[in-house]
Amino acid sequence: MNKKLIRQIRNEWRSNLWIFTELLIVSVVMWFVVDYMYVMISNYYVPRGFDISHCYLIRVNNLPPKSREYNPADTSYNDDKAELLNRIQHRPDIEAASLSMASYPYDGSNSTAAISYDTIKVGTDDWVMRRLVTPDFVRVFRYEGANGETPEQLAEQLKEGKILVSDNLFAEHNIPSMRNYVGKAFKLDIDSTKKYVLGATMKTVKYLDFDSGKKNFSMVMTLGKEYYNVMDELCVRVKDNMDKDFVNNLWKDADKQLRVGNLFISDIQSFQDIRTNYQRSETNDMRNYLLGGAFLMLNIFLGILGTFWFRTQQRKGEIALMKALGSSSRDVFVREIAEGLIILTAATVVAAVLDLNIAYAGLSTELEAGRFAITVLISYLLTALMIVIGIWFPARKAMKIQPAEALHDE
Amino acid sequence: MNNTIFKQTWQQMHEQPLISIVSIVGTALSLFLIMLVVMIKQVTVAPFAPESNRDRMLYVKFASIGSPDGESNCPWSISSVNTIYKSMKTPQAVSAYTSFPSRMPLSVDETKAFNADVKLTDAAFWKIFDFSFIDGKPYDEAAYKAGIAAAVIDRTTARKLFGTDTGVAGRTFSLGHTSVKVAGVVSDVSTLASAAYAQVWLPLTVEKEGLNETTMNGIGGIFSVVILARQKSDLKKVHDEAVANVNKFNLAIKKEGMKLINRNRPYDTEKEALDFSANNEPDVAAEYITGGIIFLILLIVPAVNLSSMTHSRLRQRISEIGIRRAFGCTRWSIARQILTENMIVTLCAGVLGLLLSVACAYGCNEALFTRPYTNNINAPMVDVSILLHLSTFGYALAFCFVLNLLSTGIPAWHACRTSIINDLNGRG
Repeated sequence: MNKKLIRQIRNEWRSNLWIFTELLIVSVVMWFVVDYMYVMISNYYVPRGFDISHCYLIRVNNLPPKSREYNPADTSYNDDKAELLNRIQHRPDIEAASLSMASYPYDGSNSTAAISYDTIKVGTDDWVMRRLVTPDFVRVFRYEGANGETPEQLAEQLKEGKILVSDNLFAEHNIPSMRNYVGKAFKLDIDSTKKYVLGATMKTVKYLDFDSGKKNFSMVMTLGKEYYNVMDELCVRVKDNMDKDFVNNLWKDADKQLRVGNLFISDIQSFQDIRTNYQRSETNDMRNYLLGGAFLMLNIFLGILGTFWFRTQQRKGEIALMKALGSSSRDVFVREIAEGLIILTAATVVAAVLDLNIAYAGLSTELEAGRFAITVLISYLLTALMIVIGIWFPARKAMKIQPAEALHDE
Repeated sequence: MNNTIFKQTWQQMHEQPLISIVSIVGTALSLFLIMLVVMIKQVTVAPFAPESNRDRMLYVKFASIGSPDGESNCPWSISSVNTIYKSMKTPQAVSAYTSFPSRMPLSVDETKAFNADVKLTDAAFWKIFDFSFIDGKPYDEAAYKAGIAAAVIDRTTARKLFGTDTGVAGRTFSLGHTSVKVAGVVSDVSTLASAAYAQVWLPLTVEKEGLNETTMNGIGGIFSVVILARQKSDLKKVHDEAVANVNKFNLAIKKEGMKLINRNRPYDTEKEALDFSANNEPDVAAEYITGGIIFLILLIVPAVNLSSMTHSRLRQRISEIGIRRAFGCTRWSIARQILTENMIVTLCAGVLGLLLSVACAYGCNEALFTRPYTNNINAPMVDVSILLHLSTFGYALAFCFVLNLLSTGIPAWHACRTSIINDLNGRG
């Protein structure tokens, strides 16, 4: 049956050429979309290395001299900030609070560092994110140690004046883990006279949710009270079940208990919002590709539906003859669907060659044999699904043809 | 003749209802998506109040400053803006405004009401953007120089503070624990007007200390610049003068070891819409190519679909075509009729697609239009004046035309090509 079907498809090549061309174009574009989504989605599920649930960013400003509440005698901004941090840390709904500079997750402001140990130096050609924080920062964002250290243990290391680095720091130099370097002294470009002792290694901290993590290097170090005034990020983690009224309660106290010296709270933002805003560009791209993929699939469905509808009308006599000679209704149905799938398979083979060329040309993400096979398969299955649904209705109509009546018309 | 063609088109559609529905849905869907893509691009480029002069504006959002320690990208300090841009002679107006609005608490009578986005500007700001004032007026040059704390607020803010938006000019409220008067009230501004947007506008002279917080030897600060040229043809002149001023500035700061890396600033509206990282010059050409490929795919895939359906449909009309040709109808006349019939259907589907896209733009405005790298919690407001322009309809019509040509051209030509005898016999 299949041999005859293939021969028939070849004989009718003129009308099948349209379908073949369309399926070819769609297969190539569909593969492109599937490949992109596959990479984005698999990157998304790589562990982030931090947790922003129940976290908020509190922005603190200095009163301008014009304000009637301004106290010109108060010049110790660092002490004021320390006191404010202290008061916030002791609130009943707060689990942890910290100050930081260019450090919180999903932050467009960053500073980088160059770290070296012996002859190995990183941070000059690639980026090692430098997080300048107070020790509780790692408790706010639940950074985890590569050896299973809890955030509290990491905070202890920071309190002792040690630094933390991500475990993959020297990965580009063929050192996959920094575990053996714990306790050793490193040099930082921030101060070439001092040496900094490594307290513990952390799990990779991703910069964006859609990064794979392989190129995300970071280090964490503390800054003393003399820097508190320029550390303008006050991040807090709220206890697990106390989110609901947290913001309102904080605003209620913002003008009284939390007004320290010339500092005032100007804004409170949840990290969910910060995250959504920061990754807007990537989410937009995903949305575009998803819409594009859905558009393609819908077009296939409509196109196949229309074409096979006509075919069934034109082949009435032929189908009737087949049924009169003994084909069952089910055979007719399966034949119609098989015809579409065979053309698709032929188109996919040619499309796969084009896809390889696109991947080689560097127009899509890096070529990997395993991922290529999977994405071609996924795009094949999606297109096949649309074809099956598209042929379903005309094929059912073909099943219902009464041989005697149809042949009577002939 | 006109009436007959509509009757014939209707008759055609009636004969094959499923195919007609499939054609219309396919065309409408394609145009729906195309118009969404057009709209997403247009909101960044097409003019609407208060940025009605977008085609005459140039922007210098950030400065790229090279120093012996490396490069830093940041907004400008007010002194650099005054030296380089405010001293220009060719533009109609030059204005400085804070690059990132800050969220501040507002209240009346010490009870905290809410947060709003606050932007600091100079007096020239109001000459460049066309805000519509419901009450009061903006701060002028004299008030700006004196540093008087009088703010322009938007309608929603006025209502939240005072319960009304008229008659509030002159009243006071507390902004970040500082007492501020209301200078005027404007109608709300969409976040899509990225340069003009805020909810409260203050003269930047109000915070003298903030002005002195500069970086990179006094070159970097918190301000961006927008320039209004007198007419569209002046844009190049203004651009050249700005570049000359930057070069002059570079000569002056050379001895400190600093250098401004201009990257071909200032940018016009189209280029500025692509400007996301200050350390890269936006590539308009690449954007065109990407856009072109997208439109190509959005047109070709449905065109191939519709083409095969039109082809099959025409094969059934072969006898009709044969008779007409036997009676002397030219090939061209028949082709024209087929194209026109399909154009009517395409236009109807196009209208449907356009309506759908506008509805979708209203419904999903946050998902579609929020600009990346902003930190707004207000969804971008869209309305008809922002979404639909004359050019929008022009684009829609043009795409309908192209789609029709692509999908019907080849089948129509094919149908007219065969000999009359074969047509009459029904042999295609």
